[in-house]
Amino acid sequence: MGTGRWSTDLYDEHNRYKAASGKSTFDYSDTLHNSSRDAWRVHASLNPLGVKFRESRDSAEHPNATAIAVMFDVTGSMGAVPVTLQQKLPQLLGLLLRKNYVSDPQILFGALGDATCDRIPLQVGQFESDNRMDENLENIFLEGGGGGQQTESYELGMYFIARHTAIDCWEKHGRKGYLFLIGDEMAYARVSHSEVRHLIADGLEVDIPLAEMVRELRQRYHVFYLLPKAASYGGDKTILKFWRNLLGQNVLELEDSETVCETIALAIGMMEGTIDLRAGMDDLRTYNATPETLQTVSKALANLPTSPLTARASAGTLFGLAAKALLDGKVRRRL
Amino acid sequence: MNTDPTRAILIADLGYGDAGKGSIVDALARATHAHTVIRYNGGAQAAHNVITPDGRQHTFSQFGSATFVPGVRTHLSRYMILHPLAMLAEERHLRGLGVEDAFERTSIEREALVISPFQQAANRLKEIARGDARHGSCGLGIGETMADWLAFGSEMLFAGDLHQPARVTRKLKRIRDLKLAQLQPLLLSLKDNPDALAERKLLEDPRLIEMTAELFAHFASRVRCVEPHELGKFLKQPGTTIFEGAQGVLLDEWWGFYPYNTWSTLTYKNADTLLAENNFPGAVLKLGLLRGYATRHGAGPFVSEDAHLTAAIQDRHNVDNPWQRAFRVGYLDLLALRYALQVTGRVDGLVVTNLDRMAAMPQWRVCTAYDYPGPAADLAGDFEHHGRRVTGIRLPADPTDLPAQEWLTRRLMQMQPIYTGCKHSRESYLAMLQNALSLPIVITSDGPSARDKEIRFLEMTQPV
Repeated sequence: MGTGRWSTDLYDEHNRYKAASGKSTFDYSDTLHNSSRDAWRVHASLNPLGVKFRESRDSAEHPNATAIAVMFDVTGSMGAVPVTLQQKLPQLLGLLLRKNYVSDPQILFGALGDATCDRIPLQVGQFESDNRMDENLENIFLEGGGGGQQTESYELGMYFIARHTAIDCWEKHGRKGYLFLIGDEMAYARVSHSEVRHLIADGLEVDIPLAEMVRELRQRYHVFYLLPKAASYGGDKTILKFWRNLLGQNVLELEDSETVCETIALAIGMMEGTIDLRAGMDDLRTYNATPETLQTVSKALANLPTSPLTARASAGTLFGLAAKALLDGKVRRRL
Repeated sequence: MNTDPTRAILIADLGYGDAGKGSIVDALARATHAHTVIRYNGGAQAAHNVITPDGRQHTFSQFGSATFVPGVRTHLSRYMILHPLAMLAEERHLRGLGVEDAFERTSIEREALVISPFQQAANRLKEIARGDARHGSCGLGIGETMADWLAFGSEMLFAGDLHQPARVTRKLKRIRDLKLAQLQPLLLSLKDNPDALAERKLLEDPRLIEMTAELFAHFASRVRCVEPHELGKFLKQPGTTIFEGAQGVLLDEWWGFYPYNTWSTLTYKNADTLLAENNFPGAVLKLGLLRGYATRHGAGPFVSEDAHLTAAIQDRHNVDNPWQRAFRVGYLDLLALRYALQVTGRVDGLVVTNLDRMAAMPQWRVCTAYDYPGPAADLAGDFEHHGRRVTGIRLPADPTDLPAQEWLTRRLMQMQPIYTGCKHSRESYLAMLQNALSLPIVITSDGPSARDKEIRFLEMTQPV
C-alpha cells in the first residue's frame, strides 16, 4: 500500500502546462506585462517585504543541507539568463547531486533590478531542494527596464542574503553557503537605508558602504559574480575592475550566458574540493556538453583556485566523513 | 548484444504492502542488467521508495522502480490504473534528480483504465462521509474507477483515448453526469462539511472538463501508447524482465480481508496472464517479499500489531497520509504469511527486507497461533484450530461471498496473538523463517540502497 505521493492538483498542473506551452516559461511575467505598469507588483511568494528569514535547514531527507543562492539581474540587458537557468536547472541539480559535488544542495533564486527606477527591484524565493525551485523561477517578474546607467541594485540582494537568511550549513556545520550574482553592471556604492525600509521593511538607520556589506556577507557565504560577455556591457573593463576589486578571483567572465548552470556547478565542486577543473570537464562531457560550452566554462574557471581535493561528499554519510578524514590525514590508513 | 538468457522475475508483497518492492526492483535490475520493468497491478497509490547508492531518493508510483538505472524501460500493462496528473508530477521530480528520459523509456498499454478527476473527487467525498470508519483508501479514486468500469465498461476513459481531446471531453461529460447523479444524496449531506469543500468545488467547476482534456492530451504527447501485443516484443528479448507488483496479496480484491482490501488483483495472476498470452519463452522466478517484521497502513485486521513496535520502529518513508491514516507495526504473523502463500500459488523464494531496522526491536518473536476470545464453534470451517487456539487461516471456499468474507474479517479482528520467542540472531531468525514457510530466502536487505542488498542466489526454477 502507500500514499498518493505525487501531486494530483489539477489546477496546479494546468497552470504549469499553460506556462510551459506558451511562448515563455515566465507565465507570471507575461500576465503582468499585459497589464498596466502601475499594476506591476512582485509575486507574493517572492516578496522580500517583512520577511524575517529564508531558511536552509537540515532534515531527515537532507541531513547536511548546503545553501546556494543564485541572484540574477532581470533588467533588459540580461533577459536570456533566467530562461537559461530554468531550462538548465535539471542539469545543474543533476551535476550537483549525481556527481556528489556538494551535499544536499538547497537552491534559492532571486532577481535584482534597479531600485532607483524599477517597479520590482528585489525578488527572493525560498531555499528548495527539489523542483519547487522551478515554481520560484516561473513567478519571477522580468521587468526589462534598467539600462544606461551601468548600475543595478546588487547591493540590496547582498543585504538580504547577509541579514535575512538562516542556513544550517553555517550554523550547524560551520560550512559557508554560496551566493552567485549574475549580471553585467556595477552595484551602487552603498546599501540605501530608505530602499531597505521600503522593500524589506527593516528599520535600518544609516546606509551601509558596499565594501562593508561584502565583508559581512563573506563571513557566511562564498560570493561569486558571473559576468556574461554577451550581455550588453560584457567585456567592459570598468565593470570587470569594479567587481574584481570587491571579489578578486571570484569574478567569473563567461563568453556565453548559456553556460551559467555548468559554471555554477563546477565552481561549487572546486570550492568544496570534490573536483578539480579537469574532473569537472570530464563530468560535463558525460552530460554531452558541446566543445564551446567546455571551452567557455574552463576559461571562466581557469583562475579559480581549487580547494585541496577531498572525497566526493557522499550525502553526509559516515563513509563520506571517513573518506574525508582519511584524505585529510586525520586517520592513518591501516596497511 | 545481450546474451543473457530470457527470463522473468515476478515480485509480489506477501503482506499489506510496504515490504520494500521499490528498492528490491532497483537492486535486481542492477544485478541482472534487466531491460524492462512491467507494472502488472495497482496504480498511482504505489509508493515504492528507492535510494540510489549516490544518495538520490525517489518514491516510484507509476514509473517502474528501476528508472534510476539508465536504459531500463517501464511498461504499464492494462492491469495498471493510470493517473496522468500524478505521473506528470512524478516525472518532474525524476527530472530534477537528473533522470531526463523517464517518459521516453515508458510505454502504456492502450487498454489501461484512466482515473478522471470526477472519480477521484467521488472517492474522497465517500471517505470523508465515512468519518472515523474510513477504509484506508489512498484518496486517488482507484476503487471508484474500478467500480465504474465494472458498471459502465467501454464508456470509461482508457490510455488509448487520451490523445483525442474531443473523445476525452465526450467521455468526461458522461462520467461527470453519472457521478453527479450518484453523489447527489452524499453532496447534500456534506453540504456544510468544510473537508468536502475542495472536492465539491471541483465537481462543480465548469472549466474542469476542458482543462482535463487539455492536460490529458499533453500527457499523451509525452508518452507512447501501445497495442497489447507490443509487450511480446519486450518479453522475447534476451535478458531479464521484472514484473513489479504493487501493494500486497493480503489486500487482494478477492483474497484480502473484506472490506479492508482493494480493487486490484495483487497475486501473480495478472503477470501470469501477460506471460501466457505472449507465449513467454524464458524461465520464470517468482519472489515473495516481506519485512523481518509486519506492517500495515490504514485500517483492517492486524493480529500481531504491537504499539511498542509502532513507536520503536519509525519508518523512513511511510509518514501518515491524511487519506489513509496510521502506519502500524507488529511482529511477523506466520498464520497470515502462510495464508498469503496459499493465496499466491507458486512462490519460488523469499526476499526479506528491513533487517537492519530489527535492531530497534526490544524482543524478537513471531506470532505462531491466535487465541479466539469468542466461542470455539465460531471457528469451524474457516480456521485450523484446537478449541479456541487457532493455528491456521483456511482459504475461503468462495471469495466472492462477501458476507462470509466480512465474517472472516470480523473474527480476525478479535484474535489475540500467541507468540514464540526467537533467538536474537539474524542468521537463526532467517533460518527459522525458511523452515516455517518451507521456502528459501534468496535476497536479504539491510538498508535502503542497492548496496545494502545481498542476493544469495537467483537460479531459475522450472520454465512456465
